[in-house]
Parts: sequence; structure tokens; C-alpha cells
Amino acid sequence: MADDKLLVVDNLTMYFHTRDGVVKAVDGVSYELNSGETLGVVGESGSGKSVTALTIMRLIPMPPGRVEGGDVLFRGESLLKMSDNEIRKIRGNRIAMVFQDPMTSLNPVYRIGRQIAEPLILHKGMSKRDAWARAVELLDLVGIPHPESRVKDYPHQFSGGMRQRVMIAMALANDPDILIADEPTTALDVTIQAQILELMEELQKRIGSAIILITHDLGVVADMADNVLVMYAGRPVEYGSVDQLFYRPLHPYTWGLMDSLPEYDVDEKSKLCPIKGQPPSLINVPSGCSFHPRCPFAQPVCSTDVPEYRIIEGGHGAACHFAGDPGFTRAEASPVPVPAAEEVAW
Amino acid sequence: MSEILLDVKDLVKHFPVQQGVLASRLGKKCRAVDGVSFSVRRGETLGLVGESGSGKSTAGRAIMRLIEPTSGSVTFEGIDVLKLRGKSLKDFRRNVQVIFQDPYASLNPRMTIGEIVTEPLKIHRIGTRSEQIKQAKELLEITGLNPEHINRYPHEFSGGQRQRIGIARALALRPKLIVADEPVSALDVSIQAQVLNLLGKLQDEFDLTYLFIAHDLSVVQHISDEIAVMYLGRIVEIADWNMLYKEPYHPYTQSLLSAVPIPDPKLQRTRERILLVGDPPSPIDPPTGCRFHTRCPIAQFPICADVEPELREVAPGHTAACHFAKPFPILIKDPEDAGE
Amino acid sequence: MPIDDKTLVESAREDDSAPIGHHLETGGTPLDQVAAESGEGSRTLWSDALRRLLRNKLAVIAMAYLVLVTLLAITAPLWTKQLFGDPMYADTTKIMQTRFLPPSLAHPMGTDDLGLDTFARVVYGARISLMVGLLATAISVIIGIVLGAVSGFYGGITDSVVMRLTDVFLAFPYILLAILLISLMGMGLGPVLVAIGILGWTTIARVFRSSILSVKQNDYVEAARAMGASDLRIMVRHILPNALAPIIVYATMSIGGVILTEAALSFLGLGVQPPTPSWGGMLNEAQSYVVTQPALFIWPGIAIIMTVLAFVLLGDGLRDALDVKVSE
Repeated sequence: MADDKLLVVDNLTMYFHTRDGVVKAVDGVSYELNSGETLGVVGESGSGKSVTALTIMRLIPMPPGRVEGGDVLFRGESLLKMSDNEIRKIRGNRIAMVFQDPMTSLNPVYRIGRQIAEPLILHKGMSKRDAWARAVELLDLVGIPHPESRVKDYPHQFSGGMRQRVMIAMALANDPDILIADEPTTALDVTIQAQILELMEELQKRIGSAIILITHDLGVVADMADNVLVMYAGRPVEYGSVDQLFYRPLHPYTWGLMDSLPEYDVDEKSKLCPIKGQPPSLINVPSGCSFHPRCPFAQPVCSTDVPEYRIIEGGHGAACHFAGDPGFTRAEASPVPVPAAEEVAW
Repeated sequence: MSEILLDVKDLVKHFPVQQGVLASRLGKKCRAVDGVSFSVRRGETLGLVGESGSGKSTAGRAIMRLIEPTSGSVTFEGIDVLKLRGKSLKDFRRNVQVIFQDPYASLNPRMTIGEIVTEPLKIHRIGTRSEQIKQAKELLEITGLNPEHINRYPHEFSGGQRQRIGIARALALRPKLIVADEPVSALDVSIQAQVLNLLGKLQDEFDLTYLFIAHDLSVVQHISDEIAVMYLGRIVEIADWNMLYKEPYHPYTQSLLSAVPIPDPKLQRTRERILLVGDPPSPIDPPTGCRFHTRCPIAQFPICADVEPELREVAPGHTAACHFAKPFPILIKDPEDAGE
Repeated sequence: MPIDDKTLVESAREDDSAPIGHHLETGGTPLDQVAAESGEGSRTLWSDALRRLLRNKLAVIAMAYLVLVTLLAITAPLWTKQLFGDPMYADTTKIMQTRFLPPSLAHPMGTDDLGLDTFARVVYGARISLMVGLLATAISVIIGIVLGAVSGFYGGITDSVVMRLTDVFLAFPYILLAILLISLMGMGLGPVLVAIGILGWTTIARVFRSSILSVKQNDYVEAARAMGASDLRIMVRHILPNALAPIIVYATMSIGGVILTEAALSFLGLGVQPPTPSWGGMLNEAQSYVVTQPALFIWPGIAIIMTVLAFVLLGDGLRDALDVKVSE
């Protein structure tokens, strides 16, 4: 029943209407999230992965954005139909967001304590003293040493990794049901990234929040996610559990992503197989399957018909005309030969 | 084994932290590069890996004399680079070129890509105008761009394409050495692979030598013959690419390898993780003794806090700077793992 | 960092800004593909900016006004005397009949205390104001660019010296210094030009210097050094063209300020001398008749206000038009 699910995104479609055309930023995205689960949303630039999350949080300015269809249900209630007041009660409270750039996400003129206390005072009606005390607790929870003195510091006195921890503390202040983390570690060094991801996992166990982790890094997804949604050009192309996706991927784009990743070989260097071409402009999305110009397996039908998203095996599905066909797997599928004259490097 | 093309010894670059004529000389210094030594053989690629604050980019720039080193020696083809002036410095520049990280800031937005690619030729007065244009078109084609676009402006191209333009520019003078400063970090994953393949192809075709600076270990591994790991201005380990990954000796390298997320869920679940505690220290006030000792999981006192370890050979062709260096095969691939 | 969806959203917020396509990690915008198909015609950043400027209605109106005024001012000697009589020398015999006439076809803005046609005088005043505005700004810009360039490019001691120099100049009240200079050089158009010109360089130097400092940080400047480019080449080919945008904006707006200063100096009697009409001078002459004949100061006053406003609006429009591309 829809009411049992924590979050249901149902065929969400949101376009930007700009002077230069309609940007189909989110085009029919659906997924579900249960308590305590982590959903990884993977895609490259322009895939719409961040915009989808911002749409859910109603953080997209409308105009020029406009929801063209679909809905988002949080515990059965439509987030899109709520009034501004109602959605504000949810943001920072039941659903919290952590952004990519810790350098600019914190207000440089206010002390950290005040910034953490803000959602507490706002949503829980705490007194200033209680809120600051809780802020100290939260700083401790996210692993910041000497929280009682650090709580009075300003953002510039923290390093990037520390600031991201503070962002997480702010997001978790009200024990949200859902934490949306938009590329939370992309701007951080790899060793700090590992710390932050570990922290998020720990806190998830403790607080029981569900996490939507938006990233371009398949490695991070393999580490943290229970389920994975792969997006391309605003559309969902594959969805499944993390094991299903990594060991039995269905969609050629997913295969392409995995092939382009340099592996950690210790004996022989493997060849990097990039996906040819560029991600498409969202104003001029290719006809039919939006991936077809770059797909080594494209057939004529791919340029005319938009593939429907179909479930292939137990919750694992893809939007490809050939997904699930016998012999159409990453190991076995053979690319359509391209006549030499048509070979384009660019 | 080919001869050594670039030899760097005890390279040091300190930046004054305070402004002012006096304070900058007497005050605190940011010890960005604090005694770095390595060499690169002709035709090979040395990967220089480190996180932010490691000094890798500064080292790359100092070698090219884009910034002036504080001390140390840089020898290119036997010539002392740091003593070059005027014309000889300009001639040296024909041999060493650079590719930058940010595709949006590395091309002059007010020049056509033809002008960008022919500029090195103009500066060194190579060829007539029509020869230069012909060269430019060839270079664009070699790097995978459409030569007909020679009169377009950078903003009309995507990030990956702009990197290709930057590569074409770097090739114009047919350099011997290319310093690539994080050339793929700002690109999407699928485009990264394209550009890496291109760099590999060009290395073969033009007999290039690369100094490949990166923070991403997987990228570096793919393109390097040898890898040097930097931490806080010093090199902590140098080894052949496969040895570094098979058997890293230095605890920092081990934690770096352990921290990188691998796109293989089963492996992620089972592998050993070494998590470093705390933040990297500041290069203005590096820790005493071994710089890594404040975060090192195997640090032992008092030696690690008192004595700075030298780079010693720990295995054939493999050096590490640690008092207790021990190999630790961090990247164990589970043979049963059927990852495709 | 890869340009991501966030930029997509942000660029959507500023509705009038650059097309979204520019911010995506794509192979150029759809418009560019159109341009590509049609053969030549690559879009420079300047042509993009021009297009954006032309979309700004206020800026277009301001430009149209300025073009009109300039045309009138330049051609003035050809038609003012014929249509409206001599704007400088009155026919003393007819003063009583011709002074203070209300607006009519023969005298669109009426006549002044000497019977001279106000409209013709305003147009002649425009000649002075525009000439001083443009030339004095040009002087300031040249001095400012050179000093700002040297300061920003070389840094170090040169920078400190130039910056302290600007501090000194900025510490003095502008008008008083102008008055001092004029009293040394004598009164008239030339001294006014020079006085305003050599005092106005300070802000331009600062703006240019900071623009240079920020352009210098771009990798393409380092790339030029890496290929052996001389300092001069780097300065002229790479830094200058990219650092110019803020100067264009500031210079345009400061023309308005210069016009005001010239008017003030002429009002004080230090600028162009009668009988050459200038707006400030006309305001001065109108002082005696403020209550009885307000038209005498209203017309030159409006002329000043509108012209200054036009330059400011144009500068505003230029800033918006150049801004997005500059930041890229």
C-alpha cells in the first residue's frame, strides 16, 4: 500500500520553460524508498539526478520550472500538492538535505552553533539554550572534537571535511525520516570522503533515516546503497538492488559506465572503453531512446520509439527495448557494427 | 630501459604566508613542496598522486618554472633547468608543455580555437601562417575534434572537447615532456575515459613522456608506469604501478587505497578498511618527524615524532619513507567474486 | 568540477540570463548547432553580449537617446543658426521683444534673458558636455588602464606604489582639486578636460587592477607563460581583452559623473566661458530668474538629468550584458 512506503516518486516529470526552449530536466522518474534504506541515484552531469531531488523538496523555482505530471508521496501525502507552509514544516524536519559544496553551504557570518540550532528552534520550538546544547550533542555525534568550544566557531574555522560533518549535523538535527545527500563527498579528498561515508552509515543505523544518495561515483554507490537508480538525460534507465545492478546490469548505458571506469588491476592493465559522444542537451533530447546516439547496440527502433521502463526480474528493471532479451547481457551482447565511414571520434 | 629525461632532486617551494616585504621573508611559510626527488624516463609516465595540500600541483609547476622553486635541482636532458634565462628558457619551454585541470579556465574565451592552438607556433616563429593553420587542423583532428571548427570559440564546446583543445595546444610544439595537472578530474566519467585513451594513444604516436598529476588513484594507475605518492610536501612512496597496488608499503598509501570506493559491492562489503582519523595537517605547520605520524595507524613513539624517515628501498625498484614500512595487500580481489 | 544539475537550476532562476545550454556539459548549445549548420558565423563573446544588450529595453532607449543627442550636437552648427538664430550673440536691439518667450514652434524651449533660443543653447551645451564627457573619460581610462595594468600585472613594489598613489588622490575632494587645477591652468574647455581627466583615473586603475588580478588566475594565462609568451604578449593578448569588461561598464557610467562635474564647474564659472553655452553655465545664468522664469533652469536641468541617466542606464545594461560571459 502506498501508505506503508516512506517515499514514493511516481512518474515525476518536471520541465524548465526557458527562452531557448523546454528543458526536459526530469522526465518520468519513479522510485520508492523505505525506512532505513539507502537509494543511490547515479548519473552524469545533466542527467537530472540533482534536479529530481530538488523537485521533491520543492526547491525548484516555478517558473521557469513546472511540474508536468506525476507526484511525490511522503507517507502517503502528496508533497507537490502541499501548501508552502506545509512543505516548509517538512523541509529540514522530516526531510533534510545535504549539499555538495561545504564551502558555500554554510553562512559565513553566523556561528556554527546558531546554524545548527536554527532548524531545532524552527521546527521543534526549542529554546535557544536547549537548541545550542543539542547542537553540541550533534557535533559530538558527527565526530567533531571538542564540540563545546567548536560550537561557537565560524565556518571558516573548519576544514572542508569538518564543514561537511557540520552540514550532516544540521540535517540530522531533527531526526529526519529522509536524508537527501547531493554529491556530499565529491568536493572532498578521498580519505576524508571515506570518513564522511562511514559517518553517514553509522548515523543511519543509529537514527534509522532513509538516505537518498546522489552521486556520479559508482564506487560510492557500491559502498553505501541498497538500491540504485541510474539516470540519463532526465530519464530513469535502470533500477535495481545494488547487487542486481552491479552483477547483472541490464542497460547499455550502465554497461558503458562500468566499462569506462578504470579498474584496480594488479597484474595487467585493462583497456578503458569509453562511451562515445557527449551527454545530450536537455533541450534537444534525441528522439526515441535518449541514449541511442551513443549506444553501441542501437537498432532502428531505438531512434523512433521511447523505451518503456519494464521490470525484468524481481524489482530490477530497465528502459531499453532489448533489456532482458536472451543473450543481451554485458558479457554476451555484441555491438552493432558501424560502417567505417560513419565512425566519429567526436 | 630508456634514459632519464627529467631528474628532480630535493625540490623545495615555500610560500610566504604573510604579506609585506619583511614579514614575507621572516614570517611563517607554507611549505608546499618540502624536498621532493624523483625521475622520469623517456617515453614513460610518472603518476604523481596526492590529496589536496600534498603539493603535487605546486611541484609540477615548479618543475616547469611556472613558479620559481625555493631550492633544489631540476635537470632536463642533462640541462639544469633552474639556471636557464631568456632565450634558453624560452627554448626549454618548447620541450615541456602543460595540460590543465579546468576545461573552462584553461582556454582564453576571446580567442578562436585555431588561434589558441597556433599561438605556440607563433611565439616560436614556426612555419608560415598557412602552415600554422594546417598544423592546427591536423592537431585538432588528432585529438578527436572536427578541424572545420577551427574558427569557433571555446564556449561553443563541451568540457571534454575543451580538454582536447588544451591537449592539441600542448602538442603544437611537439614537446618531449607533458605535465598533465589533473587533466580529467573535472570531466564526467564517460568523458574521462575518452580523454585518457587519447592521452595513451598520443603518447605512443608522439613518443611523449608524461608527468601525470592526479588525486584519483584509479586514473593514475591506468596511465602510469611508475607512481609517486605525495603527502604534505614530501614523497612517501615510489613504485611501479602494479607493485604499488599489489603491495603498498607506506601506511598512507595503504589508507589511500583502502579509502577509494570500488564499484563492486561484494568487495566493498568484505574488504579491509583503514580509516584515517582527523584532518590533514596544515603545510604551514607540518608535524615534526614523520609528517604522517599524527594520523598514522601504525605510528610508534618516540621515533615517528622525532625522526623524519628517508625514502629507502623496500623492494626492488620500490621505495618508501617509513620507519616501519610493511607491505599490506589492500586491494585483495576475492577470486570467487564474479564481478563482470 | 563537472557542471551539474545545480547550475542548470541556477541558470533557470535568472530568467534573462544566458541560455541554459551554455551551462550543460554538452556539445554546444542548440543555437550553436544551428550556427554550425549554416556554415560560417561563429559567435564571439562580444556578439553574444551585444545581442543581450539589445534585449534590454531600457538600455536600448538610453542608446537611442544618446545617439539622437550626439547627432544633434555634432550637426548643430549646420542648422541652429538658420532655424533658431545665433545661440551665442544676441541682437541687443531686439532683446525686450525676444526675451523670455514661452515655448513655440519658432522656439521649442522658449528664449532666455537675452532673447537667445534656449533649445539651440541646450544643443550647443550638449556639444560641450558630450565632448568633455567622452574626452575626459578617455584620458582617465588611458591613464587608469596603464597604471592599473602595471600594478596588477607586476604586483610587488610597483603595485604598492601605484595603490598608495591612488589612495593619495582619493583622499582629496575631487571638486576642490579640480578647482585648484583650473585656477592654475586658467579657465575654459581645455583646463576642464585636463582637470577632470587626470583626476578620474584612480577608480579606473583600481577596477582594472582587480579585474586583472582575477583574470591572471585563469589557467590560460599560465598556459601562455608555459609556451614561452613574453610578458607583453600575455598582457595584450590574454589579460587585457578579458579584463576590459568591467572597465567598459565603469567608464560608461562615469561619463555621466563627468558630465555632472563639468556642469558643476561651469556653474561655478570655471568651465567654458560665456558666450559659449554650456549646461552648467545656463544654470548659472538662470540663478537670477529662478522664481520668475523657472524655464531657464528647467530645460538645461532636464538635459543634464536625462543625459546622465542615459549613460547610467547604458552602463547598467552593459554590465548585465557582459556579466554572464565574463563570469564564465
